[in-house]
Amino acid sequence: MTCAILPLAQAILMIALSPLFAGILKKAKARMQHRVGSGVFQPYRDIAKLLRKNETVSEDASWLFRFIPYVCFGSMVLLSMMTPFILADVAAPYGGLISMVYIFTLYRFMMVLGGLEGGSVFGGMGSSREMMMSVLIEPALLLSLMALAGLTGGSTVTSDIPRTLIDMGVIVLAPALVLAASSFFITLLAENARVPFDNPSTHLELTMVHEGMLIEYSGRGLGLMELSSMMRIMIFASMLGALFFPWGVALTSSPADLAVGLAAILLKILTITLAIAVIESYLAKYRLFRLPNLLTASFALSLLAMISLYIL
Amino acid sequence: MDAVISGNLIDLCVVAMLLLSMLAMTTTRIAQLLNAFAVQSLFLTFLAFVVADSTGHSGLYVMGAIAFAVKVIGIPWAMKNTAVRLHAGREVDSVMGIPGSLLISAALIIVAYLVTEPLMATVETITRNCLAMSMSVILIGLFMMVTRRKAMTEAVGLLMMENGLFLGIMSISYGMPLVVEIGIFFDVLMVVVIIGIFALRISKAFDSIDTSVLRRLKE
Repeated sequence: MTCAILPLAQAILMIALSPLFAGILKKAKARMQHRVGSGVFQPYRDIAKLLRKNETVSEDASWLFRFIPYVCFGSMVLLSMMTPFILADVAAPYGGLISMVYIFTLYRFMMVLGGLEGGSVFGGMGSSREMMMSVLIEPALLLSLMALAGLTGGSTVTSDIPRTLIDMGVIVLAPALVLAASSFFITLLAENARVPFDNPSTHLELTMVHEGMLIEYSGRGLGLMELSSMMRIMIFASMLGALFFPWGVALTSSPADLAVGLAAILLKILTITLAIAVIESYLAKYRLFRLPNLLTASFALSLLAMISLYIL
Repeated sequence: MDAVISGNLIDLCVVAMLLLSMLAMTTTRIAQLLNAFAVQSLFLTFLAFVVADSTGHSGLYVMGAIAFAVKVIGIPWAMKNTAVRLHAGREVDSVMGIPGSLLISAALIIVAYLVTEPLMATVETITRNCLAMSMSVILIGLFMMVTRRKAMTEAVGLLMMENGLFLGIMSISYGMPLVVEIGIFFDVLMVVVIIGIFALRISKAFDSIDTSVLRRLKE
């Protein structure tokens, strides 16, 4: 029984918390740019309002267009059950690193189709750019997770990794972990359309990637898509916090451990959120043709992590 | 120091050196390139201190100190001055794009690992793992010398190769006799001076330090 309730509770918690961190990110960015900014709870109000509204669908779009927001949101809910959040072994035998990577890919593929469905120029441009980036993101993401799995002795089950890393003690602070984590952080920025790769707050420029694909959505569909992209950044942040640096994650389900686990993961996600805010305030968006440089650097970092496992 | 922690520190320093070599492949500015070289040398210095501390080879302290003075402070400063005086421009131009050169560097690391793997089994120092890394730093430095066009950046490639050599020496034998080391440092310093003069000559003769224009000599 617990094995069904725990993942569900975790998914609900992550859905409930993800707009908060999106709000904190916006607020921190605003403060750094000497603006007051909207409150940290604004994303909740936005999403509640969007979910109440009706959808307007382009007449060129097929049934797939209405269907996509649910698939995207569903895949994010599934992922939030698989990643360790407060408790290490929440989805005991089912969470696999490789399947997580490909559920992210499913999400991206669906979003790209949605961008093309509407028949607008911006959607098409956003989709083609997203596919160009995804070709470069996927190997880096997969290789950094493989390096992590290699470090823990070859297990790709998400619930084993925190436990093994904690058991390994100080020897785990090998270069492989640091390299894989930094590579993962670059792919976090790329995958979530954050600043050096994409500007998340634009709807007007010709440079938009992620927002370009969402431009045809409205009402409930847009609300679900926005919520899923908030959840995606939350899932990436908790993967970085609970898989790469698992200290503090609860290994048993005693109340004391759970409290420590909750505090630790919230602190980690807050740190990552603030780091993203700092990066977004200090960097400008890169030119599209400079993006492969950064993504290849991320690939090289994770490759180096992998090689250093063998050499050192 | 605890053996596990010093082992971790050694690994971290070596990987940082290799990472800086790869970073140097991605930079597009001369100042960044020289900074990457300076930081790489700083990690080399730190590595020398850690190895000296955990093995008791006090000669490595002296070498680390010399490396710090010459490579972290002296050479980058001198080369930045030369770059300013030559009006060499801030950009580095490479024959190959950044993604391509990064992937080739990654392939070079694998080659270095395959080449040094049989050697590593025969060495019994605590730093023997660094041998493959040092070979990679050498190969990437060589690759940088081959693909870059300007005399200044080719010199940085050579200096990075020298860093790799120093690392290799340290990894198999905890360093050479002090006299030999000092001789090598003096050589490196001379190389920088000669390259400085040479670059000055090239720039006077061709109004550029782009070595690909040297082909005009044939005409």
